[in-house]
Amino acid sequence: MKRSILVLLALFQFMLISCPARADVSVSMRLDREEAVIADSISMVVSIAGARKSDSTPVLKGMEDFDITQGGTSSRFEVINGQVNSGIDYTFFLQPKRTGTFEIGPVEVTVDGKTHRSNTATLTVVKQPESSGINRGPLFLTAGLSSTKVYVEEQSIYTLKLYHQTRVSNISLDLPDIEHLTFRQLGKPIEYQGFYNGRSYDVVEVRYALIPSGEGICGIEPSRIKMTVAQPEHRSRRGFFDDPFFSFSTGRPVTVASEPLELNVLPLPDKGKPSDFSGLVGSFKINSRLEPNTIKAGESATLTVLVNGRGNVNRIPDLKWPEPDHIKVYADEPVLKVKEDAKGLSGSKTMKWALVPEKEGRYKIPPLSLNFFDTEIHQYREIETSRLSISVLPGEVKQIHASTDHSNGQKIESHAKKAVKELGHDILPIHTSIKDLGKGSIIPPGGLVFWFVFIGPFFIYAVAFLGLKFGKKSDRSLATLTAKKAAKKFIKKCRQDGLSSSDLALSFRTYLNERFNLSLGSLTSKEAAEILKSEGADLDTARKILAILKRLEDAVYTGRGQKACALGEDASQLVRQIEKEIR
Amino acid sequence: MKRSICVSIAIFFMVCFFGSDTMALQTSESEELFFSSNQAYRQGRFQEAIDGYGRLIHAGHKDGNLYYNMGNAYFRLGQLGRAILSYERARLLIPGDADLNFNLNYAHDKTQDAVSESQDLVGMTFFWLKDLSLGELLWGFAILNLLFWTTLLIRLFSRFEWTYYACLISMILWIIAGASFGLKWYELNTDNRAVILEQEVNILAGPDIRDTVLFKLHAGTIVHYERSEDGWSLVSLPDKRSKNRGWVKTEAVEPFIEKNQG
Repeated sequence: MKRSILVLLALFQFMLISCPARADVSVSMRLDREEAVIADSISMVVSIAGARKSDSTPVLKGMEDFDITQGGTSSRFEVINGQVNSGIDYTFFLQPKRTGTFEIGPVEVTVDGKTHRSNTATLTVVKQPESSGINRGPLFLTAGLSSTKVYVEEQSIYTLKLYHQTRVSNISLDLPDIEHLTFRQLGKPIEYQGFYNGRSYDVVEVRYALIPSGEGICGIEPSRIKMTVAQPEHRSRRGFFDDPFFSFSTGRPVTVASEPLELNVLPLPDKGKPSDFSGLVGSFKINSRLEPNTIKAGESATLTVLVNGRGNVNRIPDLKWPEPDHIKVYADEPVLKVKEDAKGLSGSKTMKWALVPEKEGRYKIPPLSLNFFDTEIHQYREIETSRLSISVLPGEVKQIHASTDHSNGQKIESHAKKAVKELGHDILPIHTSIKDLGKGSIIPPGGLVFWFVFIGPFFIYAVAFLGLKFGKKSDRSLATLTAKKAAKKFIKKCRQDGLSSSDLALSFRTYLNERFNLSLGSLTSKEAAEILKSEGADLDTARKILAILKRLEDAVYTGRGQKACALGEDASQLVRQIEKEIR
Repeated sequence: MKRSICVSIAIFFMVCFFGSDTMALQTSESEELFFSSNQAYRQGRFQEAIDGYGRLIHAGHKDGNLYYNMGNAYFRLGQLGRAILSYERARLLIPGDADLNFNLNYAHDKTQDAVSESQDLVGMTFFWLKDLSLGELLWGFAILNLLFWTTLLIRLFSRFEWTYYACLISMILWIIAGASFGLKWYELNTDNRAVILEQEVNILAGPDIRDTVLFKLHAGTIVHYERSEDGWSLVSLPDKRSKNRGWVKTEAVEPFIEKNQG
């Protein structure tokens, strides 16, 4: 257990140590807003990714017009899908000294002796709005337009700011529904601290791009925000739970509305309007590049045209490219990217063509043009790509693979294989060979060989099997026959007149040997009785046999063995009895 | 005992020698008829060729090649039904013949009715049966029979372990070969397939010309023959799912297995 914990700790430590070494260090910087009033305090966060510490605090460039206060640091360590990310965030607060548009950054950070630079950001600082002199209370909503006079399809930024000094929750926004006017939210709502009429507020700001599709004076009804405003509960007695940490509060629903606004939508002028005007309004640029500039005939080069700018980017048309002589043109699918930032909608459209020159030479690529209504100069503009050219070298000559038969000097060209083409249908001819006759008979094959193969093996096996069986059986039969005859022989012997005791004893032993397939040279009376009992003879019979044999033994061993005995009849009776019992 | 065994062996070999070849004798007359029929076919006298092949078959030459040649001659005469019948009869005898299978497929392509035969489980299991003739199966069985009894014989005298496995394997093969032969024999003796001979025939609801026409069949279509009554035959389509059956004039349909073929 301890060992596994140690291993886990070591692994964790290894990850901590190894991650900064493995990850690439990058520095980024972001502001909490892009526009602020001079009294605002703007939050700036410098994020160092891929390192858990820097050699020194970040150095901020271009901050002469701001008072800077460090807000603190926080470190990050996260494992997402097995990938370890770590970093450190430095927070700074910027207090502008004057109005204007400022390029903030870059921020320089030194990590492991190497200096890394961040991106830059633009911040516009405006004057404090004229004070109306009216105290609007702790909670109110303001609305503003970046421009009150726009052309059709030109976007105006509609900014809603919720100022609150009390804690609010469950915020929901109702935008006015206006004909010929589209609201498109620009990013997520941002929260910061701001000032209004010299009073500090928490501000929630959300921006929308308003895109009018029709001309005329367009009234924008007030937007409304519904929310729950927290109300601290007042207790008469101070106690333990009166500590602010444990304070309980209840909420009350509140709705605030912004002021109504008016947008003057101007029609696009007819003067100078191109016949093929696509409706693109805004500010755009066009760029092109051709890669590579020099190729061989039959190879391809890629022409890339990039149109980017700010405005109704979804109206950027797919440019048509006139196919020049001796160049085959294959158009790729255009890629449109739309970005939303505080200043509105911007984006780009990338169009690509593969150019395949068929012949060598130098080809001029005709420029591609795009027209749009420029909202900055209030007139139509046509922009076009730069003039490009491509050098085409001679292509590789396709070799015809041929083999030469040197023996006769004839050339034999190899041909590509083709699928077999059926030209006609017919049946195949008859069978005419006399050998065929009789081969396809339904009668099973005959002949000596067949029958030998078919029945012979069984026959041979049967003979062998029976032979073996018969051989064994004959041996057993002989023994059985001898056993059967043993009793008869003994009884016949017993009937002889003047049978001596020793002859009777010998006969009995012979009987036992033959009857039970034994080969005993001598046999005592006890052994004989045991044999009989083991072979299934009755106990009484065995005992009688024992008695007779004892008497015979007595006679033999007392010198009366050659004298005639009178036990023959009894012995024969007992043998008959034995035959009955052990059958 | 020994004497009786010797007598048995002698009788067995006598039977083998004198009773083995029961096939029809290939006389010079038969050969002459075969050549003349082939000559007639080549010269476009197809009916004469058919008659010649037919006489050979009736003389006892139940030969797949003769049926094949006869099928070709019928095909040339435009008698698609009889051509397919002859080809199918040839297929019972020489199922592995490439020419025959080519011509039979071609003839089947010429038929009008889209009738397919359902594949049964036995046919799928013993898939080799359709490509082997009864004689080939019997030869296979005989060879495996030799192998089986030989291994048993070895096992009788030698009790090594390998003899046990040899006996087991040869027994399995012997059973498969025996079962294949038995099934083929059963198939041949219970084959009730028949071919529509006429160009177009009405299949009626009953054995009477006034009965309702159930459907029509065309020359070369294979049906299952069930029974005959008063010059009418009850047939059914081989596709078991369709269950279409009806009566047709007996002369318009002929079974694969000839009546005198057994």
